[in-house]
Amino acid sequence: MKDTRHEQRDTTMNDVKISASGVQVYYGDNHAIKDVDVEIKDKTVTAFIGPSGCGKSTFLRCLNRMNDTIDVARIEGDIRIDGEDIYDPNVDPVQLRAKVGMVFQKPNPFPKSIYDNVAYGPKIHGLARNKAELDEIVEKSLRRAAIWNEVKDRLQAAGTGLSGGQQQRLCIARAVATNPEVLLMDEPCSALDPIATSQVEELIDELRTNYSVVIVTHSMQQAARVSQKTAFFHLGNLVEYGDTDQIFTNPRDKRTESYITGRIG
Amino acid sequence: MPVFWIIIALLGLAAVGFLLGRRNALSSVEGNPTLLHSRPNYYGAGVALSALIPALFVLAVWLFVQPLLIDTRVSGAIPADAIPEGSTLGLVMNDVQRLASGLEQLQEMGRITGREITDLTTDGDIRARLGEIGFALGSDVRPEVLDAARQFRTLESTGRLFMTIVALVAAVAGFAINLSRVHRDKRARNQVEGVIKALLLASACIAILTTVGIVLSMLFESINFFRQYPITDFFFGTQWAPNFRGNSDLGIIPLLWGTMYISLIALLVAVPIGLFSAIYLSEYASRRFRAIAKPLIEVLAGIPTIVYGLFALLVVGPMLRDYFAQPMGLGNSGSSVMTAGLVMGIMLIPFVSSLSDDIISAVPQTMRDGSLGLGATKAETIRQVVIPAALPGIVGAILLAASRAIGETMIVVLGAGAAARLSLNPFEAMTTVTVKIVSQLTGDTNFASPETLVAFALGLTLFVITLGLNVIALVVVRRYREQYE
Repeated sequence: MKDTRHEQRDTTMNDVKISASGVQVYYGDNHAIKDVDVEIKDKTVTAFIGPSGCGKSTFLRCLNRMNDTIDVARIEGDIRIDGEDIYDPNVDPVQLRAKVGMVFQKPNPFPKSIYDNVAYGPKIHGLARNKAELDEIVEKSLRRAAIWNEVKDRLQAAGTGLSGGQQQRLCIARAVATNPEVLLMDEPCSALDPIATSQVEELIDELRTNYSVVIVTHSMQQAARVSQKTAFFHLGNLVEYGDTDQIFTNPRDKRTESYITGRIG
Repeated sequence: MPVFWIIIALLGLAAVGFLLGRRNALSSVEGNPTLLHSRPNYYGAGVALSALIPALFVLAVWLFVQPLLIDTRVSGAIPADAIPEGSTLGLVMNDVQRLASGLEQLQEMGRITGREITDLTTDGDIRARLGEIGFALGSDVRPEVLDAARQFRTLESTGRLFMTIVALVAAVAGFAINLSRVHRDKRARNQVEGVIKALLLASACIAILTTVGIVLSMLFESINFFRQYPITDFFFGTQWAPNFRGNSDLGIIPLLWGTMYISLIALLVAVPIGLFSAIYLSEYASRRFRAIAKPLIEVLAGIPTIVYGLFALLVVGPMLRDYFAQPMGLGNSGSSVMTAGLVMGIMLIPFVSSLSDDIISAVPQTMRDGSLGLGATKAETIRQVVIPAALPGIVGAILLAASRAIGETMIVVLGAGAAARLSLNPFEAMTTVTVKIVSQLTGDTNFASPETLVAFALGLTLFVITLGLNVIALVVVRRYREQYE
């Protein structure tokens, strides 16, 4: 399922985009993430797998500081994107989130038109100087999310009226419209049927040419299909991190092996 | 038998029916309830309901129809020349009924026997005897009235007797039929649930029918009014000067103007303050602050409006007059549109804030996450995602506040006075439609004069206006709603 072209690109694009070290997350008294170190490469799809409640989504939400919106969450450790500490007091989480886009588990289009959904981010960040530029950004984003042909005739229709798979691709279009450098996806296919899932997976593979993509998934097949790097989380620990092929064919840790063969989960 | 005792008897029968139905159901399966189609209680409830419902229905219909029938029969028996000059058949029938119930009371107290009543003549001192037990008659009893009252009493007591019999027979019949059908395969549960469904439907209908009834009664009285007063003068007249000797000017414009002016000021106060506090409470406030602040704001809604009125009269009115109206040369009236509007606005704050707060809190967290995840600030998220999603509910809250403002009376009387006036100056005394409805209907009124009937026309106009507001809001909400899911 991996062709050699991917492998080659991995070696040429070897620069680290996100580096995390010694990350601890507490939800109140609950120690949700325990001392995680990980380096995420640019222009690569990295998959986080693990059983429910293992902390993979929590860790993902640390990468764009979405945990800030939860009162009881407390984060320690060091997370750097392009060498810059994102938890530095000088960093504005709002700016950070424009750079690190996010797609959520459940498609959550705004109750606005398809056009306004995509134009939302660019408008907020002033990415377009006039209507023509905005139109162009919207079209480009919708094309990149592989949904343009389905919605180009009804851009003013409500985004909530689309099917589940279309809604999720709309949310991806919305996320790429702000020109992020990293795209975080929290189980983006869990609410979708198999056809919509394969559309989104194809999309993820294409997005890799421009972004560093981090995807949380419950489906090991999905991780194997779309990612080049895989991290396995268990009970808040990062158990194993490495090339996807190696994790799935030759895991080093006993727990990883048990999980991918279906003995724990 | 009085209705009260009939109902007690019916309930007793129903209770027995419940126990018997339950027992028979169980005995039909030799005490093994799992073989029954429904749980044993449903069989019992089925028997109880079939005893109760037909009988109660008979009672209700009978109590409604009997007086009508008796009335027609007795009034048919009163000769036309027995109606005195200047009186009507209706007034005579009032006398008859009053006399009949007076005699009934005398008999119940044992001061007169049935025999004596049949022998009574108008020469006797009926009026005095009734007076002894505190039952005052308006005039001396005339023979026709006495005869009619006697007939009335006979008809009524026979009617009552038949009603008791029919109701009890209906109850026993329903009881017996249902009990005989208790069987392991009987669908008792479906039957009982059908009754419950009918009950729910009936409740819904009562609300609707009451509304229809209110509108119709206002409509008929308004039509009466417009027969006596030209409709164009009412709707386009700019003078409100009722005069109980006739020749009144009854133009609604000054009243409508006052209503709209005061409501506008009230909403200008209540909507921003209420909405902003709702946004703060639901989006920014800590949980602890919210838990304390929300009930405190809601206390405002619990203050009786007359207390707000006193506040307007004693504090706000004089303050506005001394510090704003007089220095600016806008008049020196303590009661003014501004006073009533401000105080009413304060009263409306909790209506707007509490409802809006609930609605904003109900917007799914995923909406906020989506916006924040795109790098929007909290304020941008609230303004562009949360509020639009909550808009239909917020408009509903504002509308509720608006209809409260339009219908408010007490604060207006005490805060803005009772003088109908057309003016732009917010520091002048004005008044509203509701205040005038009250003042036209209080005191010694004659329900045939336009000065009184105008109250119904005012009420109907007010109703149409609030209805129109509701319709407009519904259309607006439907067009601009940003519906999540």
